Amino acid sequence: MNNITNNEERFMGLTHGQVFVYTLMTVISILFLFVTNAYLFRMNFEDWRSVPVPSLLWVNTGSLILASVGMAWTTNGAKKSDLQTIKVGLAIGGLFAVIFVSGQIWAWQQLTTSGFFIAANPANTFFYLITALHALHVLGGIAAWFYVTLKTFKQDASILQPESIGLLGTYWHYMLLVWVMLFGLLLTT
Amino acid sequence: MAFAIVATIIVIGTVLWNAVTPWWFTPLASNWGAFDQTIIISLWVTGVAFVLVSGFIIYCVIKFPYREGHKSEYEPENTKLELWLTVITTIGVLVLLAPGLIAWNDYVALPDEGIEVEGVGQQWVWSYRFPGEDGVYGNTSGRLFSSKNTFGLDPNDPNSLDDILIRSAEVHLPINENVIMQLRSKDVLHDFYIPQFRAKMDLVPGQHTNLWFEPTLLGTYEVACAEYCGTGHFAMRGLITVDTKEDFQVWLEKQPTFAQTLNEGVEGSGKQIAQTLGCVACHSDNGVNGIGPTWKDSFGSTRELASGEIVLVDETYIKESIVNPTAKIASGYAPIMPAYATLSDEELDAIADYIKTLSN
Amino acid sequence: MYEGQALYHPKGWWGRYVFSQDHKVIALQYICVALAIGLTGMFLSLLMRMQLGFPGLFESIDAGNYYQDVTMHGMIMVIYLLTALFLGGFGNYLIPLMLGSRDMAFPFVNMLSFWVYFLSVIILVCSFFVESGPTGAGWTLYPPQSILPGTPGADGAGILLMLGSLAVFIIAFTMGGLNYITTVLQSRAKGMNMMRMPLIIWCLFLATFLGLLAFPALLVGAIMLIFDRVLETSFFMPEIFKGGEVLNYGGGSPVLFQHLFWFFGHPEVYIIALPAFGIISELISCHARKNIFGYNMMVWALIAIAGIAFIVWAHHMYVAGMNPYLGFFFATTTLIIAIPTAIKVYNWVITLWNANIRMTVPMLYCLAFLITFLIGGLTGLFLGNVAVDVPLSDTYFVVGHFHMVMAVSPVLALYGGLYHWYPSVTGRMLDDRLGKIHFWITFVGTYLIYFPMHYIGFLGVPRRYYSNEQYDFIPESVNDLNQFITVCALIVGAAQFILLYNFIVSAVRGKEAGSNPWGACTLEWQTLESPPGHGNWGDKLPVVYRWPYDYGLPGATDDFVPQNIPDEQIT
Repeated sequence: MNNITNNEERFMGLTHGQVFVYTLMTVISILFLFVTNAYLFRMNFEDWRSVPVPSLLWVNTGSLILASVGMAWTTNGAKKSDLQTIKVGLAIGGLFAVIFVSGQIWAWQQLTTSGFFIAANPANTFFYLITALHALHVLGGIAAWFYVTLKTFKQDASILQPESIGLLGTYWHYMLLVWVMLFGLLLTT
Repeated sequence: MAFAIVATIIVIGTVLWNAVTPWWFTPLASNWGAFDQTIIISLWVTGVAFVLVSGFIIYCVIKFPYREGHKSEYEPENTKLELWLTVITTIGVLVLLAPGLIAWNDYVALPDEGIEVEGVGQQWVWSYRFPGEDGVYGNTSGRLFSSKNTFGLDPNDPNSLDDILIRSAEVHLPINENVIMQLRSKDVLHDFYIPQFRAKMDLVPGQHTNLWFEPTLLGTYEVACAEYCGTGHFAMRGLITVDTKEDFQVWLEKQPTFAQTLNEGVEGSGKQIAQTLGCVACHSDNGVNGIGPTWKDSFGSTRELASGEIVLVDETYIKESIVNPTAKIASGYAPIMPAYATLSDEELDAIADYIKTLSN
Repeated sequence: MYEGQALYHPKGWWGRYVFSQDHKVIALQYICVALAIGLTGMFLSLLMRMQLGFPGLFESIDAGNYYQDVTMHGMIMVIYLLTALFLGGFGNYLIPLMLGSRDMAFPFVNMLSFWVYFLSVIILVCSFFVESGPTGAGWTLYPPQSILPGTPGADGAGILLMLGSLAVFIIAFTMGGLNYITTVLQSRAKGMNMMRMPLIIWCLFLATFLGLLAFPALLVGAIMLIFDRVLETSFFMPEIFKGGEVLNYGGGSPVLFQHLFWFFGHPEVYIIALPAFGIISELISCHARKNIFGYNMMVWALIAIAGIAFIVWAHHMYVAGMNPYLGFFFATTTLIIAIPTAIKVYNWVITLWNANIRMTVPMLYCLAFLITFLIGGLTGLFLGNVAVDVPLSDTYFVVGHFHMVMAVSPVLALYGGLYHWYPSVTGRMLDDRLGKIHFWITFVGTYLIYFPMHYIGFLGVPRRYYSNEQYDFIPESVNDLNQFITVCALIVGAAQFILLYNFIVSAVRGKEAGSNPWGACTLEWQTLESPPGHGNWGDKLPVVYRWPYDYGLPGATDDFVPQNIPDEQIT
């Protein structure tokens, strides 16, 4: 049974992991689409008072961009099987993702201390809901990052799985994209 | 073979049932006969489809039973046949859809002229409001509700003072005149449904919905709630009496305006408070136990609690049970009564007095 | 499985039977848990029927309990029984086997999916044991009433456990669903192109797709409802006057929740119906010994149904206070979806033409499905047609309709499927005589239960009424009917234990099935060992040479040619 001859049909030349992650990203997109829809529906009611977006969110956006850059670096390293680049990129990508989530939590504290409580206004509630949902998805990514990073630091470059690293990078860019859109929504309304 | 026989019986029974069924539409009492006609058309179209398709199944079952060594015909596609079936189905669907959309168009387009009346729902009673002499409803707001102002009317709005309030579950309407209803709810979703009128619309808290019909038959009809609204849903019954125009005017003139209700004293108003707060949905005044125990002959009697304890129903017990209902739960009843903690002492007294008068 | 990745090998008893990553074991775990919770759901429905048929006989059934029974019955049957059993059970078992794959693409995620589902069931069951019990808000959980006192379970933990359990279920479904999508797209045996897949795989694939895109709407709704209940936010909660005071809410829209709920809720109907369609397609072709008629049309009809399923949701809300002019659009789309559905029915019945019909138990279930699905589908044309829905919505007509179309029909298909694939799982046949007794009672019994409900719906009897006593427009004869229905329901309920008995006893004493007892063409019957062992195919994966319905192929020796037989070997 060790030499299994797998002779399988493939869909558009994609790998298993790619199909999995792309479908997952579709599902997450749908989730945020519903939240956005509900947001746009609810904001037309007269009791809506927009939240002043804390300027800390700009800093957080910056760290998410840096995280994405770090991941791009790793992906590049994985293509060239350069273990050093992979390690540095992974570290940067993970670190700035953690900074982003901590920053978001800090931003909530700022809002709460300045009196924008969650139940005071639907705009506040949506602000917390949207940022929390996004942060949860980033945290899910960080869990996967731990798994890949542990493997990478334990093993040498020859048995690296460039696919996992590539997919991790894709998810990081995707989270950045989702955040930019949500942030835009919060800023413009 | 057994299947063919049973299926034949089922198909014939299903079709014949329509001729003998003891349960059919209630007598129509409004202008919405078009709905009944659309149902009849649908019954015919779908009935024909049902008989044809199930007849075909039964025929095949009888005609093509398993024969050892026999092979069935090999026919993966027949584009022409499939196309024809699609076209026929599409025609059938259009035949159903057209009258439905036409009837709906009439239903959602409110007429310009008619009697305006507002239906208000709350757990689990109905009440009504007429716009009064000026023909304009006064402003309402969800923030203005109180046990004195159960319609949430704005006393500073000049349009509201002449609004006529019907604080009981029975309302009168004139025959052969368009009735344009505005609907709103104080708490949860309800649905205003009169079977004989065929009309139905949800009441949604926080917004208005509309419904119109023209009563065409004198009589008294029941209003049933048709959107699940909590434990007392099934008990949310109202009445509509369709009068001649003259009788209707006589009845309407006897009803209080908002201005008059503002000047009512609290004393002796227990019955009214019980009505407007919806107590009567669960606590009857006629001796029948509902969701809660009846009030009839309850004062001065003893009551077993869920804990097994026996208590005397007196003023203290009654007041406590209104303000903090879960403190003492009567045996055999679910602990579902909401707390009426904001009632004033006078209001509590009035309710207790009213319950006293029901016990002789 | 990854190419070249070593097959996971279970270690010890726990790895083999409990934390197994083998799709066949996971499928059985799903089936057992779903059937167990389904039996609970059936028991609740019988309690409900006792109240309707014999009010007052059981004093313990008060109005609050009654609504809790109604709610939990609906929720359990729709989500925790049918969705889990069709996708988790049949999906897990059949997808890899029918596609000629060794396992799901991600066996570990697959195992997690089951355990997360199991957790959601545990949370659901817990809600029966908290103070004030499970929620009684109706399975639609409409706010404001679902989270306000006056509805059972709303002021306790009941509603929160319900919403939490749904959220956990959605996570389980997503893990399973991603697996199914990847497996269907990536792990097909050589030669198994998409248009050679058995129809049931198409159905499961599209149902999974529907679920993945629809469940997020419910998740968002559930999270927002939890916020409203716990944090007193006002997503769905307007100004509310209750208990003599104005509550701490304001400005929200209850209709928003209904949109979110039904955006999930309507596709959910097809998440249940499509796998049933798939089972019928397999069974009818195999047991009628005839190729399925119009395979291409069937696939396109399925895709059309899955697509249109997303733009019909508001037909549940015609009189719910949304903009009434939307009714025109949704009535039209709803009646359009009837066309591809009708095509499927035509193709099934045309498959019977000039066939060689074996009246096996699975075939009986197929035929019964066709009859009940016809009734349920045709009555759907009443309710979808916006004007007809006005007098009929929220009456017993609706109860009759949806039980025919998404309770009885899928369950008949489910039973047909269980009888059909039982030999593949256990290597033994189910007892034929017990099977037929079970079939007749279930088929005739359920018809007698639900068919008359349509007529008290015409009369206008509202659904979700604990008692009809005080209504003058409801005649006494409705109570007689309710008694009759309750008696039928008790008999049908008892008959389900015949199936359970048959299941257990036949696993030990049933007739040996051999490798392909029904003479089926699909790959799950062509495995090396029978029942299939771990890894399904031994050393060599099958190669597919034909579509899965070559029954009665001219020129072949047998009346069926399995998918993995090349043209040279058919004689």
